[in-house]
Amino acid sequence: MSTNTVPETFSIPVGPLHVALEEPMYFKIDVKGETVSHVDINAGHAHRGIEYLTTKRTMYQNVVLTERICSLCSNSHPQTFAMAAEKIAGIEVPERGIYLRVVADEMKRITSHLFNVALLVHLVGYETYFMHMMQVREIGQDMVESIFGNRQDIGAMCIGGVRYDLDDKTIAYIKGAIDKIEVETKDIIKTFKSNGSILRRTKGVGVLSHADAITCGVVGPVARASGIEYDVRRAAPYAAYDRLPLVVHSATDGDVWSRAMVRLEEILTSINLLRACLRDLPGGPTNINDRPDIPPGQAVTRSEAPRGEVIYYLRTNDTPQPERVKWRVPTFMNWDGLRFMLQDAKVADIAMIVNSIDPCLSCTER
Amino acid sequence: MNFLTIFARNLKQGPQTEAFPFGPAFTPERLRGRIEFKAETCEGCRICERVCPANAIRFAKTPDGMTFDCWHNTCVFCGNCEFYCPTDAIHQTNDWNLAHANADKFEMVEHGLIANQTCVECGATALNTAPMVKNAKPPLSSEEYSEVRARCPKCRAKYLKNRKVPA
Amino acid sequence: MSRLPQDLEARLTAAAPAGVEYSAETDSHGVTVAWLGLAAAADLKPVAALLHEMGARLSMITCAQPSVPEEEDEDEDEEDGEEKAAAEPKETPKTFGGTPFDGTSYEIDYHFDIEGDALTVIAYVPQGGDIPSLTPIFRNADWHEREMMELYSVKVTDHPDPRRLFLDASVDGAVLERLIPFSTLVNAASTKGLWERLLAGKKGAA
Repeated sequence: MSTNTVPETFSIPVGPLHVALEEPMYFKIDVKGETVSHVDINAGHAHRGIEYLTTKRTMYQNVVLTERICSLCSNSHPQTFAMAAEKIAGIEVPERGIYLRVVADEMKRITSHLFNVALLVHLVGYETYFMHMMQVREIGQDMVESIFGNRQDIGAMCIGGVRYDLDDKTIAYIKGAIDKIEVETKDIIKTFKSNGSILRRTKGVGVLSHADAITCGVVGPVARASGIEYDVRRAAPYAAYDRLPLVVHSATDGDVWSRAMVRLEEILTSINLLRACLRDLPGGPTNINDRPDIPPGQAVTRSEAPRGEVIYYLRTNDTPQPERVKWRVPTFMNWDGLRFMLQDAKVADIAMIVNSIDPCLSCTER
Repeated sequence: MNFLTIFARNLKQGPQTEAFPFGPAFTPERLRGRIEFKAETCEGCRICERVCPANAIRFAKTPDGMTFDCWHNTCVFCGNCEFYCPTDAIHQTNDWNLAHANADKFEMVEHGLIANQTCVECGATALNTAPMVKNAKPPLSSEEYSEVRARCPKCRAKYLKNRKVPA
Repeated sequence: MSRLPQDLEARLTAAAPAGVEYSAETDSHGVTVAWLGLAAAADLKPVAALLHEMGARLSMITCAQPSVPEEEDEDEDEEDGEEKAAAEPKETPKTFGGTPFDGTSYEIDYHFDIEGDALTVIAYVPQGGDIPSLTPIFRNADWHEREMMELYSVKVTDHPDPRRLFLDASVDGAVLERLIPFSTLVNAASTKGLWERLLAGKKGAA
């Protein structure tokens, strides 16, 4: 006799294509009523085999290929790759090039963080503010397009320096744009601290405790919001960060609200870093103006993408193509933290918690 | 700035949507758009072909000279070719009006030809590429430049070596 | 001034009885990058346990199949030099610890981060060998090892969840060890056939 048992949990698929998810990831979520009890993550929907492709392209072509791994972190990838190649070959980037690298990086960071927090507001349901924040981001995007020529894949890096330059007109333009963004961001921070809908839906939701954060090895704003004060720009400085007024923001609550606040504060820090760079910009060449061959060797380099620590391992041999390029993006580490964050969350909060780790699936799956 | 202030400001400014196609679209000067190739200033070094990550550029030797083709479909508009080109032979314009019907997709090619010429000194057939004399000291005068240009690579080297440097 | 503890090399040597080779360099920003080669892959677990105790964070696991340097020609396919390398002269070069260096052995790098300084532990595994899983000690090794298992034919023992990570189960394993023709991979974009079609279409327009 078969007993008609009602299963305790009900399994719902969230993704891979879902209106509330910004990235195609397949979550098999077991729910008890409205509460999540177990999460299973199934990846692989955007796998492009870029690791194989990098071994088929020369080092100079790879600078462009690595940029197309992701569009929001698109500057960190070629920067870390170029840093690894420069380390192996012993190339020293000229001073002006170093500062311009920081400028490109921080501009991308501002637009990426604004995008993520705007999406969070959208998932909360506050559509008008979402549009407003995206409009603030448009000031940044217009700035990026005017300086670099493209809104996302800025093409600023090359092995041995940067590919673009700034003159007085563009510097004045950047300063005007970041002044506008700063005013708006301060207003956004005030709203985040006071607006009822945002607070009620994000405070105390998706908590990742400090101990869990260490176990999962999360990086970036997710880690900093759980009390781990780790920022590659301060712990392992590269480019000009050891000479610039960097502030590492952290929080202790580890919920969705803290992560959004860490990101917003980082926008203000990026604006200050930009101002310091533009003030201290030295003269001289922007790149080494040469295409040297990279000798055989191996190197490990890290940098801070908007989402956290990007680590690159590059191994070259005598050919113009690299032997092995491997990188680990911050989101790759953060997906696992979702298992803790989604524990006992409500179904309606799933999309928001997933968004709060700032997922970048194309980075993860290369 | 509370919501009413934002509301009043937006009412005054109007919608932020661009008026395109009924008005101009915001196109910055540095936009990385369509590729343009100038055969007169090309040195024939083919560096652009080597650094193009998409293999979108193809040089081919034909009886008329060396042809240059860049198919905009494969091109990713990265700007590597422009950056590594020693002259300004290949560069990106800020033209982004590349929308076309699918039937025309093989027409979206930027084509150029570096024609053949006969060397004035030895009579060999050589390409009429711009000579690589950027770093010559002292810089070439325009007569010397056209003399060098009219020669084949071997005679160019000979000419530059024997060039009498004014005291 | 390195954040790595002063006696790191001594402690690591004590934890790995089969032998280690250690090197470190500090760059102009004061960041130290250290490399530790292990003579025996079985020493990996005690070394990892020591690093976990010291508070290190596992950053990345790289698996590579380094090919033997060729003398004459410059291949584009470095990952599968097996057939060529097998016809090497009798004296097969060996990596540190005795694994044959012939293009089929794996080199597995474990990249750790100790408060900003990087330490990479290198384990050498011969073709067909296996390596103990670090997931019980470092939880975030999980996805890295699953990816490693589908890209190469390395066996990771004691892994709590050895499913495929990104590739579908219908794809044959050990992807990076096989020779996949480039034109197949990019679906004939930017290859010879495409250019012939393009130039034929343009014949009248030059």
